[in-house]
Amino acid sequence: MDLAVAAGEVVLVTGLSGCGKSTLALALCGLIPSRVHGELRGRVSFDGRPLSGLPPHEASQLVGMVFQNPNLQLINHTVQAEVAFGPENLALPQPEIAARVEWCLDFTGMAGLRKASTVTLSGGQKQRTAIAATLAMRPRILVLDEPLSDLDPIGAQEVLGTLRRLAKDEGTGVVIIEHRVDEVAPWADRVVLMDGGRIVLDRPPRDAWADQARWARIGVGVPDMVRLAHALPEAFPGPLPLSVEEALGQVRETWLVPALAAAAAARARAQQGLARSGGGLGESTAATPVLAWDHITVDFDANRAVDDVTLSIAEGEWVAMIGANGSGKSTLTGLTVGLGTPSAGQVYFRGSPVRPGKVFEHAAQVALLLQAADEMLFEETVLRELSFGSRFRALPPDPVLDVPGAIDFFGFRGLEDTSPWELSQGGRQRLALAALLVGAPGVLVLDEPTTGQDAERMRSFLRLLEAVRARTGLTVLTVTHDIRGLASRAARIVVLGQGRVQLDGPAGAVFARTAELAQWGVLAPPVARLQAELLGPDVRDVLLSVADLAAAAVSFHGPVASAAVDASLTVSGGPARTARTP
Amino acid sequence: MSSLLVRTVIAYLIVFAVPLLLPVAFFKLVGLGGLRELVTYEARDTPLHNLDPRLKVLYPIAMGILSIILNWDFMLIVFGLSILPWFWLRPSRAKVRVLMVMVGGPALTGFWSQGLYYLPNPPIHFIYQFPWTISWLGSPGITAFGLVFGLEQTARVLVTVSTSMLILVSTDVGDFTWAFERFRMPPQVGFALTAALRFLPDMIGRTTLVLRAIELRGYDLSRPRWFQMTKWPDYVRRICQCVVLVTVPLLVGSLRGTTTMAMVADARGFGASKRRGSLRVHKLTAVDIGGYVVLVVLVGTAIVLNHFHIGARPY
Repeated sequence: MDLAVAAGEVVLVTGLSGCGKSTLALALCGLIPSRVHGELRGRVSFDGRPLSGLPPHEASQLVGMVFQNPNLQLINHTVQAEVAFGPENLALPQPEIAARVEWCLDFTGMAGLRKASTVTLSGGQKQRTAIAATLAMRPRILVLDEPLSDLDPIGAQEVLGTLRRLAKDEGTGVVIIEHRVDEVAPWADRVVLMDGGRIVLDRPPRDAWADQARWARIGVGVPDMVRLAHALPEAFPGPLPLSVEEALGQVRETWLVPALAAAAAARARAQQGLARSGGGLGESTAATPVLAWDHITVDFDANRAVDDVTLSIAEGEWVAMIGANGSGKSTLTGLTVGLGTPSAGQVYFRGSPVRPGKVFEHAAQVALLLQAADEMLFEETVLRELSFGSRFRALPPDPVLDVPGAIDFFGFRGLEDTSPWELSQGGRQRLALAALLVGAPGVLVLDEPTTGQDAERMRSFLRLLEAVRARTGLTVLTVTHDIRGLASRAARIVVLGQGRVQLDGPAGAVFARTAELAQWGVLAPPVARLQAELLGPDVRDVLLSVADLAAAAVSFHGPVASAAVDASLTVSGGPARTARTP
Repeated sequence: MSSLLVRTVIAYLIVFAVPLLLPVAFFKLVGLGGLRELVTYEARDTPLHNLDPRLKVLYPIAMGILSIILNWDFMLIVFGLSILPWFWLRPSRAKVRVLMVMVGGPALTGFWSQGLYYLPNPPIHFIYQFPWTISWLGSPGITAFGLVFGLEQTARVLVTVSTSMLILVSTDVGDFTWAFERFRMPPQVGFALTAALRFLPDMIGRTTLVLRAIELRGYDLSRPRWFQMTKWPDYVRRICQCVVLVTVPLLVGSLRGTTTMAMVADARGFGASKRRGSLRVHKLTAVDIGGYVVLVVLVGTAIVLNHFHIGARPY
């Protein structure tokens, strides 16, 4: 491949998992082959100076790298010590070290936390500390490998804002390797798409997404606003919008607004009956609760993680729990299997109290798939992994999914004797999920199951989840930051903020409350934000997918637009310019 | 016969009470997650926190020397001196609880075992003499002489442990590194200490996570009640089997983590230069100088007194 990065440029590199993005990042920083074994042909250079032959500490003063997991790259105990670590190693004079530390902390907004322990920081703060520590080496190019993967949307915007200022104000070249293209797109100057170890596209963002078919073929996600502009070309007469704000600028005065308003009014009329029967916002629909939290409070020393939460989930429901990092989501879900002890209140599974600490007992009823699915694999082969649970406890005589059934259903036929560690990351996650389901649980709880996954893998996980639900009728509770994908598919959304339930209702109704969501550190999906902005604060319900929005707009507008939308939808975002001139 | 039975029961209780109480105290009061508290720095703004890091590194060493060379009477003073700063520091309740169990537990074991097994020359005065039904285990009974000896030895160990813990709790790892560098020690020593103390809590956290995961997968780690004697062998078997099972994910995760950490250290220039710079500027204060003087006087006096066989250890 050939790739050049200019000063002050923000480059988004994306592609499917395993396409070579991280390898590219390591090569850019001169860590291949000096620290990562491999054969490097060709040359990586900075201003004509070869990087690959340089010792890492010299290369890192030209091209710095922020690795994916901030936990593993914060070596020191305090933020200040972490940032000073690099300059101290370079044996710089004390005033120079102090000046660099000061600048980096100010620039990344971490000055107020300089003496804080790195262990106590939030995900966004850790990532900004890692960036500050890398910047202290004064690199001219900064490479970041999936910097947003563990961040909530608000934390992600903080980090992206910092990177943009770095490029604009300091002239640092920034290379962001990321799957979350929707969030990075508005900040990028160039988009690089990789496939099979090659660069298949390298354009400015608006040109990059002009041809959606190429992205669809590879299976990489496209920003929602771009997809919408392709679906409704006559509503977007200007250049391709990359963000909700850009889209708003183009459609405010168009036919789209009255069409969406008419569609929203029709939905409101249709849903009046549903609201009366308890399906509206703030009213729990859990008539026969399978899981119930009754006035739950959880304190960790002086910190109140969960504050008097009462919530229930009905049999067969699919509920998504969302909220900023630290809002109490994982604490609440952990209680369903006896992980942790509430300071007050009681959790119930089908009316029986969940006893704290009795994880083995409750894990038979509630299957909890941890975010780190790799930590849930213990055996030498796929087959032994699937039969792991049955070796230690009796299974129901007629389970919905037995081991042979799971092998077929999850696509492990022929891989029974394969080591779990030889499977792809997605395969390992599938295996952990399959192994849990063989235990015939009543509820499946998924903790951030799509973190760090590319669009294709996320789609296939969602398809798998739908298929599991169709086959088993399982109740599903997901904890997620993935608002656009996972949360939008759930029938019901519970928003947590400051340890309390702040919003609870159908996804369309919850995501219409964009201002309230922002208050609790949640950004609604771009499609929802667009509708909320266009229709004003009175809107009670929004559509959550580009296809639904386009179809609704068309059906309340007219036949001309309908033809255009059909064309673009049929080809799944086919030749963009064709769709624009129906 | 009944007298022998009662004496045997009492003797077994005396022998096994402490070894059985300690694991219970650990699980009830500390737990695996609580171990994190043991080595985590508590950021505060106390005079102890602001002392010269070099003085803090020397303090446990000096107190350790005193505890080795002085006899029991003087040791009591040294022991008292090593406890006093804790009142100055006022650590959190959680930390006090963990420290009491983790430091006090082994100390209690030492004290107790010496009482059982360290015997004076005959005639031996027993606090409680064991019947033949238990003496075959190797201890004829518990003696005051052994207990006092155990107390002395435990106090000596506690002085070094207590002072080291005090310094760990009140000193940022970066200050340790700085002090080591001022003592002309290789930077690798400071880095190893920093990395160990930084990632030890992470390691404990990951171990807890993997143990949770194995339970979530249907592996029974629940402990039987103390009186369910027939279930304990199976529990021990399950724990042993579990150690084998959790080793793989822990090992894989740790190897991945250390690879990244090594690359980060390289990229931040660690080892690029024989000497390192420092952000810290520590100006000696009157308190620091006072601290140095006290340490030198204490150790110097102890050595001189020892030379003249005053307060010297007889063995």
